[in-house]
Amino acid sequence: MLAVILREFRLILHRPALLGLVIVLPVVMLITLTGIFRAGIPTGMAVVVVDLDRSDLSRSITRMLDAAPEITVHEQALSLSDARAQIVAGDARGAVYLPQGLERDIIRGARPEIVIFYDNQHMSAGSMVARGARGAIDTALAGLRLSIRQTQGEAPVQAMVSIQPIPLQAHALFNPTFDYVHFLLAALVPTVLQIIAAAATAYAISLDFGPGRHPQVLARMAGGVLPAMLGKILPYTLIFLLILGMSDIALYGWQGVPLRGSLMLMATGAVLFVLGVQLIGAAAFVLTRDMGRAASIIAVITAPAFGFMGLGFPREAMSQLAQAWGALIPGTWYVQLRIDQSLRETPLDISVWAVVWLGCIVLALGALVLLRLVRLRREIEAKA
Amino acid sequence: MSDILTALRAELRGIFADRQVRLILLAALVIYALIYPFPYRAELLRDVPVVLIDLDRSSSSAELARRVNASEAVWLRHDAPDMIAAIRLVQERRAYGVLLIPEGFERALLRGVQSPVALYADASYFLMYQRVMQGAAVPLRQLGVEVEMGRLIAQGSAPNVALAQVSPAAQVEVPLFNPAAGYATYVLPAAFVLILQQTMLMGLALVATRRGRGHGHPVWRVLGRMGAWILLYALLLPVYLIVLPAIYGLPNLGSPVAVLLLGLPFVLATGLLAQCVAALFRRGEVVQVVLLAVGLPFFFLSGFAWPVEAIPAHLNWFAQIIPSTAAIDGLVRVGQMGASLPEISHRLWQLWGLVGIFATVAICLELPAHIRRRFPASGDSLDQV
Repeated sequence: MLAVILREFRLILHRPALLGLVIVLPVVMLITLTGIFRAGIPTGMAVVVVDLDRSDLSRSITRMLDAAPEITVHEQALSLSDARAQIVAGDARGAVYLPQGLERDIIRGARPEIVIFYDNQHMSAGSMVARGARGAIDTALAGLRLSIRQTQGEAPVQAMVSIQPIPLQAHALFNPTFDYVHFLLAALVPTVLQIIAAAATAYAISLDFGPGRHPQVLARMAGGVLPAMLGKILPYTLIFLLILGMSDIALYGWQGVPLRGSLMLMATGAVLFVLGVQLIGAAAFVLTRDMGRAASIIAVITAPAFGFMGLGFPREAMSQLAQAWGALIPGTWYVQLRIDQSLRETPLDISVWAVVWLGCIVLALGALVLLRLVRLRREIEAKA
Repeated sequence: MSDILTALRAELRGIFADRQVRLILLAALVIYALIYPFPYRAELLRDVPVVLIDLDRSSSSAELARRVNASEAVWLRHDAPDMIAAIRLVQERRAYGVLLIPEGFERALLRGVQSPVALYADASYFLMYQRVMQGAAVPLRQLGVEVEMGRLIAQGSAPNVALAQVSPAAQVEVPLFNPAAGYATYVLPAAFVLILQQTMLMGLALVATRRGRGHGHPVWRVLGRMGAWILLYALLLPVYLIVLPAIYGLPNLGSPVAVLLLGLPFVLATGLLAQCVAALFRRGEVVQVVLLAVGLPFFFLSGFAWPVEAIPAHLNWFAQIIPSTAAIDGLVRVGQMGASLPEISHRLWQLWGLVGIFATVAICLELPAHIRRRFPASGDSLDQV
């Protein structure tokens, strides 16, 4: 088996296609993904203000809006339809409507309406814009309420208490800095690696077990079909673990994502994850004996896997069937384990289940490949 | 002309005679149309489970809990005696937030001093965090308004005056497009465009890697292939971008004509890009793996899910070369936001620009072989070209 492993490493060095797939491609993808999210949470998204009042108050609200980190007041629009056109064309992500007579109506106690419009088709950006605008207008109105109370003779501190009888102390559990960037990255990296590892493993196996190849030579070298297959798979396990480790060093070391849990559990999970993913590739190939069809199977399983992990739309809200499908994919459990052990500081007795599931997937896929290999062995030995 | 037709027929044969290409261009489209939307069928997050720690156990705290529970977003599903038990429930993913009403809540309210409550929302999932915050903040704010108003009225203000003082202006939030904030409505229109591009790239690049030598000048050959893609995708693109969204009940405000006018340069640019990808990677297996791996990065580069404002400038420049970037933006604006063609004309021109660039590259890639064949074994005859 060692001979096959060493031969595989030589093969990787001498075949540019293989070298490109298992090393260059994942590294380029990791750098690209890191690049996309490097700048962090989006800021300065364009908002137009439709200011029909043009009073001191409306100007001060506009200034407050501009001061919100999420948004930049892009320019003034003359009418709502003008603002809407800018949003549709993509020049702005939202609009704030300040009606005519705003200041006068507020003084008179007529409660005028301030309207925030936002582009919710681009929901991630739209909700951030709405939050920024809401906060800015809240602040502006709170200032107004404070000054009303102060003119009535209330002391500033007392006025502050009066305008907020039930203050909400909001805490962000597990992720106080709202670092979704690293959170997304910590999930996207395994997702992309999952695709590459499955496909590259199938490709490497096809180079020796494919039609017109001579697996019997390899089997003789390793002393059996099973060790030959293991010898084909393990070198890539090592390579992908190294790549995963490198990206983790970048993520947790250099970028400073907190790693609060058990390193041991994370490492065990990583090994099982890579093996599980590789076994998807191996199973797809030994079942079809054709790289093209194997690639199609791998594509169907791994390409849509991101949605089933529940990072955008949570798993708990999915249908049972969708949850079950997600549970069959190694990445789902591995990403959950990573989030548990890095951000959430989940106790081991809860988190260990993700590793157990990964182990089950590896065993099931391993058994499938093994069964197939037993059949193939007769064929191969007949040739030899 | 006959060279063009020959190339067109050869391309169609390359597509339909090859089982694997058929599998990618046709069967994969069907499978992905079923699998990709699958996680998002529920559309909305309702009744996110939240833990209640009521240390006050008064009628005011019960009223507060009742109001929070009445909101559509959250459900006070568990009761816990303390934070340790509550956090454990969150770590088990059985709850996504904790509402803590401290002891003395009612007493403080009655005494007229601030009576804070604490909300811990699970911030490791963005959507859950938002829902929990929203679900608790709105009823809390309302209760606060009522308390403040009640105190002003007790001091002798008229109710309408009190209201105007507590809330001097009404704040209204109007989501334009996707008003229900459905996740499928948000993500699927863009995902369908990307699926179309990735399967097209993969299938047509495979055809290109398996193609023998063609006849005629490279210009005619490339034109013929473009004709074949138009024939095929005149059928597939409307099914995928108009019929399929309708089946999933996604809103559709756009005119089909605008979708088709954007779809034409999108299909051509993608097909031509496939020729370049095939020339770059040459082997079918490699092409497939590379294209599989770049799908998700392409999606995030398109500036749809991850706002373009947050993408570094040099990466954004690169992203503009990928047809899906312009196509997703243009098609979503037309289809879901009802943009007219002039409103997204820059995306239309961008796609036609890509067609021009990729066509030039694709033709240049075939020129050397063409020249070698027409003027075999002599270097000086190049001067005559």
